[in-house]
Amino acid sequence: MSPLHFSFYSAFTFSCLGLAFHRTHLISALLCLESMMLSMFIPLSMWPLENQTPSFTLVPILMLAFSACEAGAGLATLVASTRTHGSDHLHNLNLLQC
Amino acid sequence: METALVLNSFMLLTLLILFTPIILPPLLNIQNTPQSIPKTIKTAFLISLIPTIIFLHSEMESITTYWEWQLTQNFKIPIYLKMDLYSMTFFPIALFVTWSILEFSTWYMAWEPFISKFFTFLLIFLIAMLTLPIANNMFLLFIGWEGVGIMSFLLIGWWQGRAEANTAALQAMIYNRIGDICLILSMAWLASTLNSWEIQQTIQPNQTPILPLLGLILAATGKSAQFGLHPWLPGAMEGPTPVSALLHSSTMVVAAIFLLIRTHPILSSNKLALTTCLCLGALSTLFAATCAFTQNDIKKIIAFSTSSQLGLMMVTIGLDLPQLAFLHISTHAFFKAMLFLCSGLIIHGLNGEQDIRKMGCLQKTLPMTTSYLTISNLALMGTPFLAGFYSKDPIIENLNTSYINTWALLLTLLATSFTATYSLRMTLLVQTGHTRSPTITPINENTSSAILPIIRLAFGSIMAGLLISSLILPTKTPPMTMPAITKTAAIIVTILGIILALELSNMTHTLTPPKQNPLMNFSSSLSYFNPLTHRTNPTILLHSGQKIATHLTDMAWYKKMGPEGLANLHLIMSKTLTTLHTGLIKSYLGSFTLTILIMILMTPK
Repeated sequence: MSPLHFSFYSAFTFSCLGLAFHRTHLISALLCLESMMLSMFIPLSMWPLENQTPSFTLVPILMLAFSACEAGAGLATLVASTRTHGSDHLHNLNLLQC
Repeated sequence: METALVLNSFMLLTLLILFTPIILPPLLNIQNTPQSIPKTIKTAFLISLIPTIIFLHSEMESITTYWEWQLTQNFKIPIYLKMDLYSMTFFPIALFVTWSILEFSTWYMAWEPFISKFFTFLLIFLIAMLTLPIANNMFLLFIGWEGVGIMSFLLIGWWQGRAEANTAALQAMIYNRIGDICLILSMAWLASTLNSWEIQQTIQPNQTPILPLLGLILAATGKSAQFGLHPWLPGAMEGPTPVSALLHSSTMVVAAIFLLIRTHPILSSNKLALTTCLCLGALSTLFAATCAFTQNDIKKIIAFSTSSQLGLMMVTIGLDLPQLAFLHISTHAFFKAMLFLCSGLIIHGLNGEQDIRKMGCLQKTLPMTTSYLTISNLALMGTPFLAGFYSKDPIIENLNTSYINTWALLLTLLATSFTATYSLRMTLLVQTGHTRSPTITPINENTSSAILPIIRLAFGSIMAGLLISSLILPTKTPPMTMPAITKTAAIIVTILGIILALELSNMTHTLTPPKQNPLMNFSSSLSYFNPLTHRTNPTILLHSGQKIATHLTDMAWYKKMGPEGLANLHLIMSKTLTTLHTGLIKSYLGSFTLTILIMILMTPK
């Protein structure tokens, strides 16, 4: 695997592991989500440059739009959690716990 | 005159006379009195002597058929009456004994408020009992069999306020039922294999299979209290003494032996069946004689004596000598009924005392009764030329000269000597010695209705053996020659038993209570048969019934295989899955590791 390929791959992996193992604050999970998005956006936007396929340049824009929605939803959850519980700690999200 | 017509008519007239106290009172609106029923039976007895005399004079037998009941096209059940040696000799004997017992009961049960009902019950029993010997097919025999069983139940529990009487009646019924089922088994086999319920049609040249014969032998075990189904007979002494005298000594318990006598053609072809009868009878006779040693109730001693003599009759059947068994039935009826009636007189005379340890020296206060008691005990022991001798001695002689099981022979000889021992023990404790009863007792033997029947039965006890054995032609050759010791074997073991009893009675004249040893415990608790079987057998049966009916069918098939089992399965699954649904966001985030892992593993190289 080429070093560039490997760097994108490992960036995504580490961000996902960070999402899985950040246990304290919701905002760190959201940051990891953003870094996952970034590590996918840069390869996606380099793809049409490398392969000279202009029709593929729509894809990173679409991805950006959806990630913006998702980031907005995540930030709304953060604000709601801070408004009700006073902080964004993850152990506040325990409504389903029996 | 037409002897056949006279024979049949008088036999039927006998039965008709017995039916009149049952049929006429509802029709003519009269009541039965305690005097009318014994008179009826006396008339029936006198009428029944006529066919017997015709038979003894001319050897005429007859079979009569009335009114067929057509079950299927080729299976017909008529009312099939057979008047041969057995039925025509049994009728006068049974009627004579019943007449004496009923006349005695007019004195014994004089204070009983329902005395007419008692006599009616005894009459119905007698009719059922007389149906048994005269039956030629198994259907009529079964009617008589069941009839005597039912009346035995009703009469044992006559004093129904007494819990022990009810228990004893129920026990008698249950043990008899086991025998009845085996009889039905034999009848079913006969009906399905030989397509007939008549005894003449069941005779085969080759060996009969063991199954119906085993059914007949087990039926006899139940009805006549052989070892294995025997506990009901000592318990049946809860009934009044006339009931014990009639049913459980002379007539009902010999119904079983009668069945085996009637079916002896098919029994004699199968050697295994004969050996079974022999060994079973030998075991029963010794067992009952052993148990009679340590009994203290006078009626129980006589009950065990009956049981022992029934075992002896079974041994005779096992020797393939039905006529000799019938002779023993006839002579046994006389002296056993007399024993019971004398004991009834003693019991009433001592105001209800039945324990022989509380009787003594009755020879001075009841001289007639105790003389007759002695006569019947001597007849029971087989004293030469009394009634019991003519039947017991040939049985012992045939035993000694036949090619049979030695163990059965030894047991029977031992039981014969035990008979002498316990009879003499009873005599010594009741009649001799010092008085152990209270000082003022209503001892009385002056009532003629009490003592006359006993005198009549005494005549029978002394002369019946000689009369019957000399008037009836034997069907098998009796053994004529044997060594002297074999000929006198019965009398020698009897004398040995008497000497033993006298020796033992000398040891009991001191006032020390007897020490318990295992043998005495064995004998007095009837070899632990009752406690061992009366709990385990019903428990096993009821448990297996519960397993099959309740546990298997109701709970397993209907519940577990159906709704409840399914619900259980779902419960297990949902309980397992609940642990996964914890609602913890942190753990859910941790599941993204799985995604990463799969991604890493699935990247192509």
